[in-house]
Amino acid sequence: MIRAHHLWLVLLWLSLTSPGMAVEPMELPKGILQLDPYPSPTTELKDLDGEPYNLKEDKGAWVFVHFWASWCGPCREEMPAIQNMANTLQPEGFKLAMINTAEDEDTVFSFLSAHAPDVRPLMDRDGQVTEKWQPRGLPATYLVDPNGQVRYQALGGRAWDTPPYLTFLRDLMKPR
Amino acid sequence: MPRPPQQIAAFYEARGFGKPMIEKLKQQCFITVWVHNKSSHVIWLELPQWRFSNTNGVVERRDRHYWKAVWNKMQIPLAHQSTFRWTLLPEILDFQPDEREGGNIILPRDNKPIQIQATFPTRTDKSGTPITVSFNNIQCAIDP
Repeated sequence: MIRAHHLWLVLLWLSLTSPGMAVEPMELPKGILQLDPYPSPTTELKDLDGEPYNLKEDKGAWVFVHFWASWCGPCREEMPAIQNMANTLQPEGFKLAMINTAEDEDTVFSFLSAHAPDVRPLMDRDGQVTEKWQPRGLPATYLVDPNGQVRYQALGGRAWDTPPYLTFLRDLMKPR
Repeated sequence: MPRPPQQIAAFYEARGFGKPMIEKLKQQCFITVWVHNKSSHVIWLELPQWRFSNTNGVVERRDRHYWKAVWNKMQIPLAHQSTFRWTLLPEILDFQPDEREGGNIILPRDNKPIQIQATFPTRTDKSGTPITVSFNNIQCAIDP
């Protein structure tokens, strides 16, 4: 027996709906949450070549902090859009920290060769840095402001190379 | 969607998990769940409040704390523990409008049909009318 209120259900796919609710005005692109700012967790990692990375050193710029894994389907779908966005915005001063969660070098190298060859991966080998950020799931993206404060979070994968997101990210970088 | 042991083994083997971990996981009943909030307000996933039962009574879900103890005892590498955790359904999550997340629920393997009662508090402060969904006759999947 299935009992549901405002709920459509297909097997164990749960789709929750309440069509009578008013839609709140959305100023942010779809799937972007504004957060009460908080200091970004310590993020010191090495890249695939063993070069050290410290998020603190990106202070002064907006940083796109992204967590992903090769086994995660939405991560695979999103990665080309991230690379396109990076190719567009990095020359304008936007920074990226692309953090792989708990995979080995061979896996990461193979994956990125196929999906985003220009991305510089940071290796969270044991997954402990990812844990500190407490993502809602994978993929997960946070936007860190030039003062090192976490200001926005993206829900799941986003079409980062499309106009709503590029405009939003560019607006962030504008001097205020 | 219940997952058969072979499928679970193949997935985790591809992640580099060792044989002891795979063998342990193959003994479990995996159910993959996706939640998509199609409403315009927050809906809470509170997995500890879900109820699992069969004709023998309550079925205890094997949660993150259970697995942490198991993996630590088996001295499983942190990387594999981390990957494993990311494949589980979150314990608690305030689903935002249009947010979707999925993951596995793990129960002891049994051949009896399982009943699941899932309750979702609604609104940010949980003041809305809860949504309750019940499933009967869920079977742990077996290998073909």
